[in-house]
Amino acid sequence: MALPEISLDKIEKEVTNSQIWKSMFRNWPWQDTARHRARHIVDNVWLHLHPAKIQPRALRWTFTWGLGGISFLLFLILTISGVLLMFYYRPTVELAYQDMKDLEFAVSFGIFLRNMHRWCAHAMVTVVMLHMIRVFLTGSYKKPREFNWAVGVILLKLTLFLSFTGYLLPWDQLAIWAVTVGTNMAGATPVLGNEGPFANLLGMTISNDVRFVLLGGTTVGANTLLRFYVMHCVAVPLITGALIILHFWRIRKDTFSAAPLAKNEEKADVWPNLVVREYIAAAAVTAFIFFLSVYANAPLEEIANPNVTPNPSKAPWYFVGLQELLVYFDPWIAGVLLPGIIIGGLCAIPYLDTSKKGIGYYTWSERPFANAQFMFGIAFWFILITIGYFFRGPNYFWYWPWESWLVHKPVSAPTWSFSLPVGVTLLAAYGALGMTLPRLIKSEICWRKASGAFLGLFALVGLWMKFGGDISTWRVVTVGVLLYLTFLFGFLYPQRYIRDLDLPRYTITQALVLMQMGVLVKMGLRLGLDVKYILELPQFNLNI
Amino acid sequence: MHRKLFYLFNFLVLGLFVAAGVVDNHREWKGYQKQYKRMEISRLEGELASADAEQKPSLELALKTAKAMPIRLRQAMSPDLNRYDRCVSCHLGIDPETNPAQVNAYAEHPFKAGDIPEHKAHPANKFACTSCHQGQGLATTMEDAHGLVKHWEEPLLRDPYIQGSCVRCHGNFEEIRGTEQAKRGKALFAKIGCIGCHSMKGSGGEVSVDLGDIADKPASRIDWSNTGPLPPHQRNILNWIEMHLTKDTIELIPGDPHGHSCAHLAECEPVAPSGMPPFYEELSYEDAQALTTYMLGMTDKKLPKEFKVPASAKPEPRYADSIEHGKAVFTKFGRAGCHGEGGASGRRNFNALGEGQDKTRIHEVSEMAKGREPTLTKVVGTYSRDELRKKLHDGVAPSSIVKFNPDGPTPPLFMPSWKTKIKGQEMEALLDYLFSIAEKSGEEW
Amino acid sequence: MANPVKRKDFLWMGWGAFAAFLGGAGAATTRFFVPNILYEPSQKFNAGKAEDFPIGVSTLWFKQQRVWIVRSAQGIYALWARCTHLGCTPNWFISEMRFKCPCHGSNYNPAGDVLAGPAPKPLWRCRVEITATGDLVIDKAILENRAGVREKAPFFAEYA
Repeated sequence: MALPEISLDKIEKEVTNSQIWKSMFRNWPWQDTARHRARHIVDNVWLHLHPAKIQPRALRWTFTWGLGGISFLLFLILTISGVLLMFYYRPTVELAYQDMKDLEFAVSFGIFLRNMHRWCAHAMVTVVMLHMIRVFLTGSYKKPREFNWAVGVILLKLTLFLSFTGYLLPWDQLAIWAVTVGTNMAGATPVLGNEGPFANLLGMTISNDVRFVLLGGTTVGANTLLRFYVMHCVAVPLITGALIILHFWRIRKDTFSAAPLAKNEEKADVWPNLVVREYIAAAAVTAFIFFLSVYANAPLEEIANPNVTPNPSKAPWYFVGLQELLVYFDPWIAGVLLPGIIIGGLCAIPYLDTSKKGIGYYTWSERPFANAQFMFGIAFWFILITIGYFFRGPNYFWYWPWESWLVHKPVSAPTWSFSLPVGVTLLAAYGALGMTLPRLIKSEICWRKASGAFLGLFALVGLWMKFGGDISTWRVVTVGVLLYLTFLFGFLYPQRYIRDLDLPRYTITQALVLMQMGVLVKMGLRLGLDVKYILELPQFNLNI
Repeated sequence: MHRKLFYLFNFLVLGLFVAAGVVDNHREWKGYQKQYKRMEISRLEGELASADAEQKPSLELALKTAKAMPIRLRQAMSPDLNRYDRCVSCHLGIDPETNPAQVNAYAEHPFKAGDIPEHKAHPANKFACTSCHQGQGLATTMEDAHGLVKHWEEPLLRDPYIQGSCVRCHGNFEEIRGTEQAKRGKALFAKIGCIGCHSMKGSGGEVSVDLGDIADKPASRIDWSNTGPLPPHQRNILNWIEMHLTKDTIELIPGDPHGHSCAHLAECEPVAPSGMPPFYEELSYEDAQALTTYMLGMTDKKLPKEFKVPASAKPEPRYADSIEHGKAVFTKFGRAGCHGEGGASGRRNFNALGEGQDKTRIHEVSEMAKGREPTLTKVVGTYSRDELRKKLHDGVAPSSIVKFNPDGPTPPLFMPSWKTKIKGQEMEALLDYLFSIAEKSGEEW
Repeated sequence: MANPVKRKDFLWMGWGAFAAFLGGAGAATTRFFVPNILYEPSQKFNAGKAEDFPIGVSTLWFKQQRVWIVRSAQGIYALWARCTHLGCTPNWFISEMRFKCPCHGSNYNPAGDVLAGPAPKPLWRCRVEITATGDLVIDKAILENRAGVREKAPFFAEYA
């Protein structure tokens, strides 16, 4: 008897015509028509976040670089790898480190998963920042997308917080001291922290201030580990997830992409054009992460020992820029005030920059002020991180990256502060002149002449500093460079570009600019002239 | 173009994932286990071939067990001591599960299992491995498990250092076998007078650090700048202690004899280098190892009560005469540490006024290093009994020691006041001993 | 029916109650996160009567608690005996009126300032308090070493 003919086509026809199949896949069979391409997106629960058609310019790699999508992909990989790691990790001081060692040595794919989790975390912080830069440079935060930008800033903050809470969980020396440094900044919060200004207003002590609540105790210990674990694995991911949903929803509602559509341009189909690009980006990133996870091991130092402080003790890399600021400012400024102003300032950008120029494309000439100030801030941020990470050694002295940390450095020169009247005058002058001068000078200033005049004047001052005050050349140069940058970004740019803004917007923008440049001025004064404080009010524990 | 990328990245993802699986699967210990299994099978087959009928059944059973030996991670656990040691994943010869006899005839590492009585006395299921051998028990690769890696400060203890582990639990370690080097170390400790400068758990000299918990000192609290080319994974307390006995301590801890480090501050003082005498000149390397071994037993880590073996009570010492008693007092308080054995030669005291120093080279470290403590045999004779008693009573403060280089640092070594420690009969016995070793008596001066 | 409630008032009261509940829930959650009891070992100890300490540096609690108690004509303070270089325990030398660390030679004056050696910062002072009964209570968990701050309460207890 002959065997019945097995035809794959026949089997396929049987299956795809069955009731089960038809109930699951409503657009079967697939035909490459415009209608099907559209329905493929619109009828699919995962894909219908996309519109059916999109501006062709939005498809280009070089428009978004896929950064937002990559952030989301990394978030998903982190969630999956994180949940898997939770099956072998116990958040107690007795067992956490042992479980990390077990993951490295005894658990199948343990080291791969742990590496993946750590590298994805670092990658996500980086990619999220790059995504923010991209959105800024393409003006995609302007109307009607202002609120979504603010949601994005909050997501950035949550990403940093997720990374920070996760950093503690291995419970090694790197973890405990990085978190100690980071949370000590919370103790410097004004009014609410026991080491900040006005701490006695509410009777803040080490056992009832905001740092105490964050740590669940007076030091980073068992309570902290448990709290950070719950925040890291449950609370913050849930909040982040909710905000991601909101973020995506607004993207969709605000026409998905800010890229402009030319007059006679036709929109392109999202399926397959955009989806294919998204998939390739995701696959490329995944391959890269896999490569890192196989061939680069995440660090694990000695077990956490509260009695032994490594020298130096550094915060995680994304906070090490703030830690560098601690050299120049008291903790309440470097750790609380400045980050708060940065977050607030970032959120305020869409409401300050209402020009219609440059939405959906890269341009420098159409928005010079916005780009210059923002990119200066970004560059400043990454330079601070670079200094804090590579150029600071034991006792936080300056070590060139190639210098061994075993070399002893001489004790640093003593610092001095301005007297109260001088300090108040300087601050008041900086603020008053900085706020009013750009707006008062109505005519166009030639930058070349102004820079020439400024540098000429400084050359005289510099010569007097060097030969009269016996200050070394490099210090004079440092002060000069930083003061010139302040002059350029704090006066010349605002004077040309924002003097005609309406008063509220001008005030807030210029205040933010002055604060940003103020950090630079203070750094110059400290590095060049050993100035510790411009304004000293020790009674309130308030020093600037 | 996109098609090419699609293929490329999909296959990359797959390929790298397969690579992850391969890397994960390819573990060092598996190789060792497979080899051991092969060795056991061939050994048993050989024995079976030449065995007679009586022995065959048990050998056949053994062969069957060997063939069924699983390739998996193994560990020795001691929950009481919080040790979970995977050493037996490679060292199968001493794994009680794989080789209940824990002895075999193999010669090569890691399969060999010699007949070691200490292993019988300290079974793996109660002590695990690292409680004596140290190393990183949780690790499963050779380098990590042996602990000569960064961020692990308890490397595997080889002979003789492992005897330091005996000292940790056994208060009576001098009476048990296998602790010869630790005993030697303890004897040397008394002979060269370490306790004169270093207290032990609170009692002893206050010139330098208390050694009672020296084995617990973490590497990050040690300044490694002057240890020469010591790689990071060798920066552990064992090497640090040993270097104090095998190198010149002035090189190891040079201080700041010229006051360079704070030169631009208004107030700056020079700092003497380590005051520890150069014992490397008189100790052999074996002596240094023995002392280090003994020091490795000095820990404050808590042990469960049932693991501690107390020392047996020592009888009160009886002395033939006052001089012998005095000699015992001399040793008890570590006077040899500063004044040499039998008070015969005063030890180095940086920048103290000594003999043979070239005043024209007053700023050189090598000249300042010629400073010496007094040599008792020469000096005692110049005192009357009451004067000497008073001297011992009051001590000599560092500031009253005459400096060789007046701008140089204060000499690090000094005589503490003994008034609270040596009293009554002990003091008189000590005085008798000191006068007995004097070269000149009072009259001859 | 007696005066019926206006729709506007009804809504205000109703939602107002809900808002009050939300506010209360927020406050309660915040309070929930503040621990009332800790498992950290207490670093406080009673050093005895303040009047029993003579002028100068006392090593009475040096071995057990790792602190020196320093009394001047104005009052009392407590120094944590931990060198700010690498954490060794310095010793007090009365003849030289200074603390000297045996590990790398840092010297400190009785106020805790660095006189020599590689220590980067002055010695830490512990929180001190003289109770109504005249006992000196020292808290090693609360430390200060900045000049200007350490000479004042609670790191310096005035005691004639």
